[in-house]
Amino acid sequence: MNNLWTETGYISLNKTGEQLCGDRVEVTGGGESNRTTLVLADGLGSGVKANILSTLTSKILCTMISGGMSIESCVETIAETLPVCSVRKVAYSTFSIISISDNEIAELIQFDNPEIVVLRNGVRYNYPYTTRKIAGKTIHESRFPVEENDVFIAMSDGATYAGVGHRLSHGWQRENIIDFAEANYLPENSAKYIAGTIIDECNRLYEGEPGDDTTVAVVRICARHPVNLVIGPPATKDQDIKMMNLFFAKEGAKIICGGTTATMAARYLRRDLKPTLQYFDPEVPPISLLDGVDLVTEGVITIARVLKYAEDYLDGTDLSASWTTKKDAAALIACELFEKATDINFFVGRAVNPAHQDPDMPITFGIKIQLIESLAKCLERMGKQIKVSYF
Amino acid sequence: MTIKICIGSSCHLKGSYAVVSRLQALVEEKNLSDKITFASKFCMGKCAEGVCVSIDEENFEHINADNVDNFFETEVVTRL
Repeated sequence: MNNLWTETGYISLNKTGEQLCGDRVEVTGGGESNRTTLVLADGLGSGVKANILSTLTSKILCTMISGGMSIESCVETIAETLPVCSVRKVAYSTFSIISISDNEIAELIQFDNPEIVVLRNGVRYNYPYTTRKIAGKTIHESRFPVEENDVFIAMSDGATYAGVGHRLSHGWQRENIIDFAEANYLPENSAKYIAGTIIDECNRLYEGEPGDDTTVAVVRICARHPVNLVIGPPATKDQDIKMMNLFFAKEGAKIICGGTTATMAARYLRRDLKPTLQYFDPEVPPISLLDGVDLVTEGVITIARVLKYAEDYLDGTDLSASWTTKKDAAALIACELFEKATDINFFVGRAVNPAHQDPDMPITFGIKIQLIESLAKCLERMGKQIKVSYF
Repeated sequence: MTIKICIGSSCHLKGSYAVVSRLQALVEEKNLSDKITFASKFCMGKCAEGVCVSIDEENFEHINADNVDNFFETEVVTRL
């Protein structure tokens, strides 16, 4: 094992008028696991039929490849399993497989999708591949060591077809997509963000009416970036020092949520806590400044907003990820947790704030715990390694 | 003179933002920016009585969007 991390992210656009997408992405592993496998399958046609073909293909391939089966048996299984289209008399789904072992070796297996793009330090990397025929299908295979900041971009032909008949007569060609990805490259951009920018551009070229199902899936190799977030003082005062010791001993970024907790941390560090009064969003209380801590915010109201950002992001209702451009405390936490973090440690204090025991107040002890649990689940779905400790 | 407004969770929900923006607007209107500075502060443990505001070291409670103008006239202006 090394100190690298594999992160995945993908977004699909449905063909105009279709409720189901004919492209499908399956992922297993992720993070620090021994093997991360991402499969993007594009079923023949569109709608229900394509959706069934691509779902079967991606699921079978992902399960078999991550289980260490040979590519021959995978392709044969698919050929024997896919239902044959009564109109076209073929069973057909193209696929791209990106498989990363131990965050060290990349294996690419490709059949008929636009060729996977690899960026190394933001510049296209022309990886070697061999070609062979398996069960009558021409398969491209590659195997090479990965480096930090490698970005793998798989796409369905909906991406390269973008703009045909609208803005571009020949579509958005692979070369143009590489130029676009290079131009928009920043080392800190997450896999999902990269996929999002390319999909946004496809949608723009299609003028909001995609002529084909369009999917972009990204695998990114990055250095681990731990983030530690503490919220609430411990249930009993004698645990204060222990909690602060553990929190400040951790490697990585530090976030403190809650005024009382921040005051406790300032006392522990023997430094001044400076609250600010600048509102970037009337609904989110302003941040405070404390030397040695990356971010100090209010507690439950801010975290509730972070959770909202997380849910919208995962639902796909917030494609543009509004928090990336905002400056309120919740957006700052979201950026740190969703974009940068690979490992997140929550330190949750169970203290009951006597000031919140007012029956008129919508804040209760239970809400804090629930918020953190829901947020932890969302972050796990984003592929983060989560640890929650209670004090 | 320094006016501090609590930005803790409870006071926030009770309308710190409205109080802050109204006070800032009043100070602007009356050209008192050179005499009054604003700051925030954390929970003083009187959440049930928010929004909590202090003028220098003196504490005031139950300030809200409805009575903030009156508070400004009776407590702030008179202390200048």
